[in-house]
Formats: sequence, structure tokens, C-alpha cells
Amino acid sequence: MIGTPVHFDKAAELREEFDRTFALSPTAQGEEGFESLLAIRVAGNAYAVRLSEISGLVNNRKTLPFPSPIPEFLGVAGIRGELVAVYSLAALLGCGLTGDTPRWLMICRPHDPVGLAFPEFESFLRISPSAIHPARRGEGLRDHVTEVVRASATVRAVLSIPSMLQAIKGRIGKGRPSKER
Amino acid sequence: MAAKWSFGQKVGAGFAAVVALTTVMSGVASYALNSAIRSKDRVITVNAQTLVDAQKLNGAMEWKTGAARGFLLTREERFLESMRDARAEFTDVLGHLRSLTLADDVKLIVDRIEIADRDYQAAIDGAVSLRRTDGPIGGVIRLLSDELVPKRDVFRQQVQALVSREERLMEEAKTASTEAAQSAMAVVIGMTVIAVLLAVGIALVLTRTLTRQIGGAVQHVQSSSAELQSAANQQVTGARESATAMNEITTTISELLATARQIAESAQRVAHIAEETAKAAKAGDQTLQKTRESVAGIKRQVDLIVTHMLDLGKKSQQIGGILEIINELAEQTNILAINATIEAAGAGDAGKRFAVVADEIRKLADRVGGSTNEIRALVEDVRAAVNATVMTTEGGTKAVDAGTRQFIEVTASLEQITGLVGTTTQAAREIELSTKQQSTAVEQVNLAISNVAQAAKETEASSNQTLQTATLLSGLSRDLTRLIRPNGSA
Repeated sequence: MIGTPVHFDKAAELREEFDRTFALSPTAQGEEGFESLLAIRVAGNAYAVRLSEISGLVNNRKTLPFPSPIPEFLGVAGIRGELVAVYSLAALLGCGLTGDTPRWLMICRPHDPVGLAFPEFESFLRISPSAIHPARRGEGLRDHVTEVVRASATVRAVLSIPSMLQAIKGRIGKGRPSKER
Repeated sequence: MAAKWSFGQKVGAGFAAVVALTTVMSGVASYALNSAIRSKDRVITVNAQTLVDAQKLNGAMEWKTGAARGFLLTREERFLESMRDARAEFTDVLGHLRSLTLADDVKLIVDRIEIADRDYQAAIDGAVSLRRTDGPIGGVIRLLSDELVPKRDVFRQQVQALVSREERLMEEAKTASTEAAQSAMAVVIGMTVIAVLLAVGIALVLTRTLTRQIGGAVQHVQSSSAELQSAANQQVTGARESATAMNEITTTISELLATARQIAESAQRVAHIAEETAKAAKAGDQTLQKTRESVAGIKRQVDLIVTHMLDLGKKSQQIGGILEIINELAEQTNILAINATIEAAGAGDAGKRFAVVADEIRKLADRVGGSTNEIRALVEDVRAAVNATVMTTEGGTKAVDAGTRQFIEVTASLEQITGLVGTTTQAAREIELSTKQQSTAVEQVNLAISNVAQAAKETEASSNQTLQTATLLSGLSRDLTRLIRPNGSA
């Protein structure tokens, strides 16, 4: 008796919307030029990542710890038959390491696959480019943040994945990462 | 030892001493009087009688002489007859005289008187014989003058000698008797003086002893009478207080009696109410039995509800598990859709339609995720409701169990109440009976108390009488003290 007609209505609504979507052309749906972002939360802070800057999203993958002089390096994980070096996104953002291994993992593939682990995936965002604004220094933003986006009354820092990959690469090149970063 | 004698013994001893002294004095006086009487008797019976007999002898002689003279003158026989009577008289008197206790010289004089009488009689007889013979008168006269007169004088002399002798003896006896009487009087006077002195001494001793003893006793009597007076006063006060207390007790007992009667009536009402209570308790017990059965039915239904609710909870948990799977599937679908979107973006224009599909799939996954979250929330609500229902039902079950136990306890209590009510009924009846008996006893006590109050009043009157008697006794003891100690303080 608990809301059964409502769920039946929702199922019918979902089915109808799904069918209507395929009945219309993509332009008619009015989504041309929109930016796809992933809304995540690291150390309690809301961030956004451009979907175009990552190559995949997985969760609940086992990360094998591996000895390394880089503290942000958590270990390696097997993703679709490849070994992926996993780094802590929170550590890279300077929030420090947490005890537990984050369950979400973004796969980035400029050359070798790199995984950025984070604890909480919130939602998928389709944002108009007009909602994305360049970030200004002096607003208390961290490194690797060049833009901010407003979505659903929440302002999120847009992480620059290439910048982060460049930083990781820089550390690997030096052989010893700097703590100040 | 004399100090231990009683008043009567001491007085008796004093009187005994006085009586003994009087007896001795009387004996001595009697002895002296007897001596005087003997002397007097001797004077009277011997000396005086001898004198009388001498006078009688003299008279008989004169009588015989006269008769002889008559015959000699007249020659008449009657004078001879008179002369023989005179002679017989003389003989009798002489015989009587000889019978007396006479001294030897007196006996000798009597013998001589008898001889003189014989001589005189012989002369008379000679004259009579002569007269009878018709001789001359002159011869007779001469004979009379010559023989008779001298012989008569001899006779008179002897008689006079006897009289003189006896008068002298009588004077001597009189003197002796007087001396004896005087000696006896002296003895009696001496004894009397001694007796008086002894009586005075005994009286003084008795007076001192008895005064001391009676004075002490009177003092004791006085003090005792004072104590008795005080005790009588206290007794009067106590009797009055007792009478007052008895009156109060009587009033209280009357109130107690009324209260006991009220208690008896109340106990009767209690017994009646207890009987009705017992009936109500039995009815309540039956109602409780029915209620217990109803509660047992409720308990069974509640247990069934709990079982169903637990099943519902389990089913909700299963739904939750399925929802987790669905949520996970939606999440994975979302991830796949995101990855498909990424891949579609990498595929260029060829991937646009696929990107649309992937996006729709992602939206569906989001919607499914949202729906699963809603369903999870609903299921959580259901589980919470089930848990609350189970908790409530368990609470109801516990309440029912507690109610059942309380029913059992109430049933036991009702049974106990029934028993106690029976006991109460019995006790109330016993109280009623006891109270009635108590009322009877209290009435008897009231009567007894009334008697006691009457006795207290009589005691008060008696105590007043005792007080008056004690006061009188005190006055008497003071008077008695003044009597025995005129100068002493009472």
C-alpha cells in the first residue's frame, strides 16, 4: 500500500521519456554545446571534473599498495587488463592522506593510464559553458583549479586534470616529490 | 518480771496484797476477839452463872426457910410440900453448879455449902418432927432460934463466901478480858496501821506504775488517735476522690457501653458488607476468568501480529537487499553510461547518437538510483514502522503478559480477598459476639462500679465517723492524760 501507484506512474513516466528521447533528434533536445562534468566531493569540498579530460570512471576496484617515495601514490590497480597507477586526489589537492582507500577512481590517459582516487561521486552534470567562469587568484582556491562552475545552487571548483597529470609527471621526473606541493 | 505485768495483774496484785494484809489483820483481830469472847464467856458462863446459882441457892434456902417457918407456925402440910419443892430447887441448882467448870477452892466452898445445907435441913427436919408431936411452941421456937438460925447463918456465910469468891474471880476475869480485848485492839490497831501503810505504799507504787504505764499508753493512744485522725482525714479525702473517680468511671463506662453497642452494630454491618463483598469477589473472580481467557486470546493474536510483523521486517530487509542490488546496478549503469559517453565523445560524430543513448541510459540510471533511494527511504520507513509495530506489539505482548500475570495476581488476590473476606466475616461476627459479651461484662462492671461508688460513699461516711471517733478519742486521751497527770501537759 506504500505509494505503489506513484512508482507505477514513475515507471511509466520513465518509459515514456526514454521513448520520446529516441523519437527526437539530438538538436531538438537542445543539448548542443553543453559541457559534461562529473560532480565529486573531496575532503568535504565540492569539485567538478570535465568529462572530456578523463578516459573512464570505475568504482570499488582493489588497489594494491606499492612502495614509492611519492606519498600521493597509493598503489596500482588492474583496470580492463591494464595496470593503472593510482594517486590520491585529496593528497594531490593538499588535503592530506586519509586512512581508507577511496572507492571511486578516475582514469586519465594522456600516455600511460593514471588513476585519481576520490571518496565520493555525486552526480553527472550537463552545464552550459556560460555557467563556467575562470577562477581568480586570491579566492582561496587550490592548485590545479582554473575555473569555477555554478550548478544547482552550488559553486564547484573545476579541477584541471592535465595540470594534475603534469604535476604527477613532474614528481616522477624529479624522483622525489616536494611536500610543499 | 513485775514490769511485764499487765494493768489488771498489777491492780490485782495490789488488791491481793491489801486483801492478804486485811486477812492477816482480820485473823489477828478474830483471834483477839475470840480471846476477849472467851474471857467474856467465861465471866458470863462460869462466874456469872456461879453467882446466879449462888443467889438461887440463897433463894432456895430462903424459900425453904419460909416454908419451914410456915409449917412450924401453922402445921400445914402445904408448907412442907413447899419446903420439899425448895429443897428440890436447891438440889437442882447445886447440881447445875457442880456441872460448871469450877476452880478447886470454889468446889470446896460448894461442898461446904452442901454440908451446911444438910445440917440446916437436919435441923429443919428435927423442928418439923417436933412440931408434929404437939409439943409446946416454945420448944419449937427455941429450936428455931438455937439451931436453925445459926445453921442458916452458916449456910449464908458459905453462900456469901461463894459469892465473894465468884465476884472476885469474875472481877479478875473481867479484868483479864478487858486486857485481852485491849491487847487485841492494840494488835488490830497496829495491823491496821501497817495495812494502811502497806496499802498507801502499794497505792503509791501502783499509782506510779500505772500512771507511768497508763500515761505511756495514753500518749500512745493520743499519738495513735492523731495518726488515726490524719489517716481518717486522708481516708476521707481518698474516699471522696474514689467516689468522684468512680462517678467518672461510671460515666466513662456508660460511654464505653454505648461505644461497644455501636461497635457491635458496626461489626454486624461489617459482617453483612463482608458477605456482600465475598459475593462480589466471587463474581469478580468469574469475570476475571473470562477476562483472562480474553486476554489469552489477545495474546495469541498479538503473537500472530508479531510473527507477521517479523515476517514483514524480514521481507523489508530482503527488499532492502534487492534495492541495494538495484542501486548498485543503477550505479554501475551510471558508470557505464558515463564511460560510454566518454567513449562516444572519443568516437567523434559517429558516437553522437551513441552518446545520446548513453546519456539516456545514464539518466535512467540516475532516475533508477533516485527511485531506489526513494524506495529505500520508503522501505526504511516500512522497516521503522515494522520495528515500531514489533516494538509496540512486543510492548503490547509484554503488557499482555504483565496483564496476564496481573490477572493471575488479581485472581490470587481476589481468592485471597475472598478468603480474607470470609475471615473478616468470621472475625466481624466474633467481634460482634465479643462486643455483646463485652457490653454485658461492661454492664456488670458498671453495676460493680456503682456498688464500688456506693461503697466509696459509705467509706467516706465511715471515714467521717472514724474521723469524729478519732477526734473524740484524741479529746478523751487528753482528758485521760489530765486525769492521770493533772500538772502535766496533755
